[in-house]
Amino acid sequence: MTLKTSSVSSSGPAPERKRPATSDVVGTAVLGAVGAVALVMGLGYGFMEEGSQIGPGFLPVLTGGFILVASVAEIARMYFASGPRGGSLLDVAGSVEKEAKAAVGQVHEPGADEDDSRRDDAERNRTIVKVFGVLFAAMLLIPVTGLLISLTAMVLTIVLWIERKPVVPSVLVSLGGLAAVYLIFVQILGVPVPQGMLGLI
Amino acid sequence: MLDNLLLGIDTALSVENLLWCFIGVLLGTVIGMLPGLGSATGVAILLPVTLSMEPVTALIMLAGIYYGSQYGASISSILISTPGDSSSVVLTLDGYQMARNGRAGAALAISAISSFIAAIISLIALMALAAPIATFALRFGPVENLAIMLLALATIVSFAGENVLRGIIMAAVGLLLSMVGVASGFATARYTFGSVNLLSGLGFIAVLIGIFAIGEVLHQVHSGGTKPIRARFRDLLVTKSELRRSLAPALRGTGLGFALGVLPGAGATLASFMSYGAEKQVSKYRDEIGQGAVEGVAAPEASNNAAANASFIPTLSLGIPGSGTTAVLLGAFVIFGLQPGPLLFEQQPDLIWGLLVSFFVGNLFLLILNLPLAPVFAQILRLPYSYLYPMILFISLIGAFAVGNNTFALWVVFIAGLFGYFMKRFDFPAAPLVLGLVLGPLLEKYLVQTSSLAQGDPLILFHSPISAIFTTAAILAFIAPLAAEVIRRLRDRDKVPV
Repeated sequence: MTLKTSSVSSSGPAPERKRPATSDVVGTAVLGAVGAVALVMGLGYGFMEEGSQIGPGFLPVLTGGFILVASVAEIARMYFASGPRGGSLLDVAGSVEKEAKAAVGQVHEPGADEDDSRRDDAERNRTIVKVFGVLFAAMLLIPVTGLLISLTAMVLTIVLWIERKPVVPSVLVSLGGLAAVYLIFVQILGVPVPQGMLGLI
Repeated sequence: MLDNLLLGIDTALSVENLLWCFIGVLLGTVIGMLPGLGSATGVAILLPVTLSMEPVTALIMLAGIYYGSQYGASISSILISTPGDSSSVVLTLDGYQMARNGRAGAALAISAISSFIAAIISLIALMALAAPIATFALRFGPVENLAIMLLALATIVSFAGENVLRGIIMAAVGLLLSMVGVASGFATARYTFGSVNLLSGLGFIAVLIGIFAIGEVLHQVHSGGTKPIRARFRDLLVTKSELRRSLAPALRGTGLGFALGVLPGAGATLASFMSYGAEKQVSKYRDEIGQGAVEGVAAPEASNNAAANASFIPTLSLGIPGSGTTAVLLGAFVIFGLQPGPLLFEQQPDLIWGLLVSFFVGNLFLLILNLPLAPVFAQILRLPYSYLYPMILFISLIGAFAVGNNTFALWVVFIAGLFGYFMKRFDFPAAPLVLGLVLGPLLEKYLVQTSSLAQGDPLILFHSPISAIFTTAAILAFIAPLAAEVIRRLRDRDKVPV
């Protein structure tokens, strides 16, 4: 059964080409570079062995090559693609997906609150950078304070500094999380968490 | 089969397994509701908690999280127009509209009932098909298994979404990640860069937690959130007309979802989109779909549950994950020292049949929980995400550490999290990567064995009828979408503009 999409026509002139976002091209190019490196390193592991048997480098070379070729093709597609066309069964799913994704988060209910952080796009980008930064710092701290204290500090920092929540609930949430994790993972499951140089918990 | 069924009932209805099944579906409902988490993330994060359990109990709980999250994800789609799992994205269309029209409770009820109908029908089909397929697969040798792996990868890529090339890239990246460490069948260390920690590989769970928990949760932070519409207990009463209208779509959705769910890579998400699209074509009330029609809730909900159950057929019978989450579950099997596939049906029937029977029990728990208690669960959505996501990060990191008791895993989680976040930002699909990561070691194992048998013959995949069929299907599945796209573009270029 061929289903026609309601929103995309299979006839008519091709739509205009859009210039791809630089970040898209750079990201795909990075993946292509990873593929190239994997391919070259794979050759070093030995592509074939005696008796026409595959070597340890066979699959790495093939996989790296696939990534490289597909990345180049994807970059070419980004520059030369003229947009989606309709008509096939999977395109039905594609058009429904687009419609649904456009509907996600479209809250029109009178009185419904907005995002409780009230951030714009630039602030959200900075938030993500900060969260990864705090995560990185927490992991550097593990050998000193131990895993549980380091991650509790991470939670507290995110909630207090990044999310700018009130002090008391932030401390309660952090300590509550620590207690729950300690009970489940340390006491019940017996996971030997590193205690760091401080040797506290 | 009757003996196995009785064995399964005996296993599933033990007190311990019933308890953990209940806990699993409850956690799954909560996890499914939370935007940014999803079933794969939930299973990955909670897998470390199950390591001290008996394998059958652990798998019952983890499977409960999987199908429980299908129910839970509907709640957030309907109430805050933000899906908790990608398989419930489509509910933001009619489900949220029903909520805006003051029928939130009815939408939740129809969602739960349709899911239950689909679950029961698909589970009966699962039980009927899984064992015969596993028996048939006992005849497979390394060549046939290799052909099936190639078909699985090809279908994963084909169903990756609008952009097949990105699906190829992600599947290949997943394969590449699986090759880090000492190669199985060889003595060579690959992509370790001199690091002792990398000799044993990256750690499947750490990568998954990084991509799903860290990456997707932070993408959700970036996207922002909304407060839910209130759903009241009295709204849960569904009218006779709504029930009548939802039955046929639920049955259609079940059929379509099951057929798609069996295909590796298709998954519950695609099934829900296809079902919604089909309903828009065939339903008597098609003009209302998109504006709060019960058909727009019943069909995709039934479809995604049926697909979720159907995806266990290739997973249990052939050892090939049918979806991203079953890939994670497959990883759980491996961690417990089990290899899903035809031999497991023979060697551990109590585990397999106990798991299958537990699906019935779990879905019954879910209907009982969700039908009256959905408004209660919905209160969780009122918790500010600002408090929730740091806790999710906390639990994820502890969980990743708990699997191997190794702080190196945390660095893997961090880097995978960065990668997962950018994958989500730039629309690279995660499911092919997960499937590549899980299938990689198996693929290489069968490749090495086939290479030994081939003695230099490149056409060995076409020597036996079974492997020839699977290999041909894999080639077609791989090149058909690309060829269709090229033909379409050539046709467009030849068109004379109007």
